Amino acid sequence: MTTTHSPSGTGDGRVGPPPPMDAELAAALATFTAVMPQLTAELIPLVRRPDPAAPTDVDLARGGTFAVEERAVPGPEGAPEVRLLICRPTAATAPVPALYYVHGGGMILGDNRLGVSEALDWAQDLGLAVVSVEYRLAPETRHPGPVEDCHAGLVWTLAHAAELGIDPDRVVVAGLSAGGGLAAALALMARDRGTAALAGQMLLSPMLDDRNDTPSAFQMEGHGVWDRISNATGWSALLGEDRGTAAVSPYAAPARAADLSGLPPTFIDVGSAETFRDEDVTYASRLWAAGGRAELHVWPGGFHGFDTIAPQAQISQEARAARLRWLRRLLAP
Amino acid sequence: MLDQLDRLDLLDLLAVSEDDVRVNDLVLRLAELDPQASDALRVIGHFDSLVASQAGLQSIVRGAATLAGCPVRLTDPEHRLTVRVSADGVAAPPVAAADTTWPSTPVGPDGAVLWLETSRPPGTLESVVLERAAAAAQAVLQRTRGRRRAHDQALVELVLDAGAEEPERLAAARWLGLTGACRAVALDRDALALPADRAVPEGRRAGVGPAVDAADLPASWAAARLALRLTAEGTAEDPGPRIVHADDLGAVTLLVEAADARPEPVPDVRALDRASAGRPWLLVTLDAVARAASLRDAARVLQVHHSTLQERLASAESLLGWRVRHPEGRLRLQMALLLRRAARTPAA
Repeated sequence: MTTTHSPSGTGDGRVGPPPPMDAELAAALATFTAVMPQLTAELIPLVRRPDPAAPTDVDLARGGTFAVEERAVPGPEGAPEVRLLICRPTAATAPVPALYYVHGGGMILGDNRLGVSEALDWAQDLGLAVVSVEYRLAPETRHPGPVEDCHAGLVWTLAHAAELGIDPDRVVVAGLSAGGGLAAALALMARDRGTAALAGQMLLSPMLDDRNDTPSAFQMEGHGVWDRISNATGWSALLGEDRGTAAVSPYAAPARAADLSGLPPTFIDVGSAETFRDEDVTYASRLWAAGGRAELHVWPGGFHGFDTIAPQAQISQEARAARLRWLRRLLAP
Repeated sequence: MLDQLDRLDLLDLLAVSEDDVRVNDLVLRLAELDPQASDALRVIGHFDSLVASQAGLQSIVRGAATLAGCPVRLTDPEHRLTVRVSADGVAAPPVAAADTTWPSTPVGPDGAVLWLETSRPPGTLESVVLERAAAAAQAVLQRTRGRRRAHDQALVELVLDAGAEEPERLAAARWLGLTGACRAVALDRDALALPADRAVPEGRRAGVGPAVDAADLPASWAAARLALRLTAEGTAEDPGPRIVHADDLGAVTLLVEAADARPEPVPDVRALDRASAGRPWLLVTLDAVARAASLRDAARVLQVHHSTLQERLASAESLLGWRVRHPEGRLRLQMALLLRRAARTPAA
């Protein structure tokens, strides 16, 4: 196997028009007022607005279902502490499985409350704990700062599993978009460093490949959410001049990993109408090729993060139900 | 400098060559100036997009439920269709009939209705949701109506066909929503199978079959077709009832069947034809007399003086050869008129 895996990049017009968007999703997107713009570097400060929909501690507690706390735990060596948002089911009578959640935001925005509500939905249904990590953001913090923050939080969580009431053998890393890429990197790090035996990795529209040159990346440029231009902005923020070069580490861009064997059971989902389609499908295929266990869903006509913008759409309901079903199967006693 | 930009400047910065971003721009600008108008624009944009991508009824109802924040229901009795979606987007059949106090709006001319399942009086947003969703739903119904009609017509033919197997006919009846008492209705070159409590369409000549169980619709159809033969246009040239109910015919059915069995026309019918040739007043006069409670009523229906009617009837009696003003003669006239109408359409 070569040191890098190269998807069949094409920017020369051999791709067709974007696949038609799902009708309900297109209608929701047409008038969505907070759509991620086509992001360029100078806009990064502008899109880092406080999220008015961020859940409060009371929201997260869900009427006493979860005990909610924020803990600052040791960060990577020489780096600041890492803030973990810890939500534990109050009804638990034995150690529970846990989701170690990594938020999205293109590597450049977000905090440990972004997207955690859906993780709590799963946790509420299945009796899980959720630990959501806040990592330093690019471009202020370049690779490996963000992923090392995530790793430090994971290592701390496993070391304190007994105290947290977590079953350390049933910890699943999960993340959406940039968080999905970081979760995939965590699984690679945990495998390579022997720091964790993960029960699974849940990669939701993960951002895996800094090369940004797949057919879907070109096909969706200027369309939908988080197009090729935005993606280049996010990767450049994380990697600087290294983006697209052989210097990029698989812990930054998991698609760069030469070896995908020995990884935990994997769930990957992605929309057919988004930049990440082909890199995510390729990652699943490579997991199978390496003898791994993976479940892949490509939701037709889905744009990036479709279920967060249009959660009521039929296809969003089905995408979310598929995630819950996978978790239930994975964590069944 | 970037921090000092306000949202509108931000939008200017972000406006790329894509329509959806432009709509966003407009929505956000309006949100600052006029929140209600902004909401309305969002609703309009949502349904315009659904229509443009030829979304189905459930997507339209789901959009309405999501935007209005309450369950929304589309009922279409003509197509036996109910679509209900709750505010969180989950589609599930309703557990109770629609409450007529809910805000609602008709969807097209055929009785379909869109309901917002809320006791709140509709505000601007709800009204726009209702109006735009109804327009979008009507577009779908119009697009699919021709297909449905053709499909339904094949089922109606099957359910009325005495030669078809009963299980097939009963399955077709279920597809048509005929679960209780029902009846066949014969129209000119058309057939209906309706629930017994449904009104017969007005404006067309119709023979109405008796109410039966779905399994007996072929018999109702045979009776309906016979009843249709006894209808007329209800004009001076073709006087008679436009709608005839088989239930009202009684022994007349036997009479028509007996006449059908004869190779030759019934003599009284030939007498009517001979007498009316070249006398356009004759049939309409006799029909009025046959159907009115009294000669005075008949004169009023015909808008002629009583004495004029008496003169015409005297003339008609001499042409026909029997006394239409006598009780027995009136019955003979009634039978002759019925058989004449029946004879114009041969039995199938």
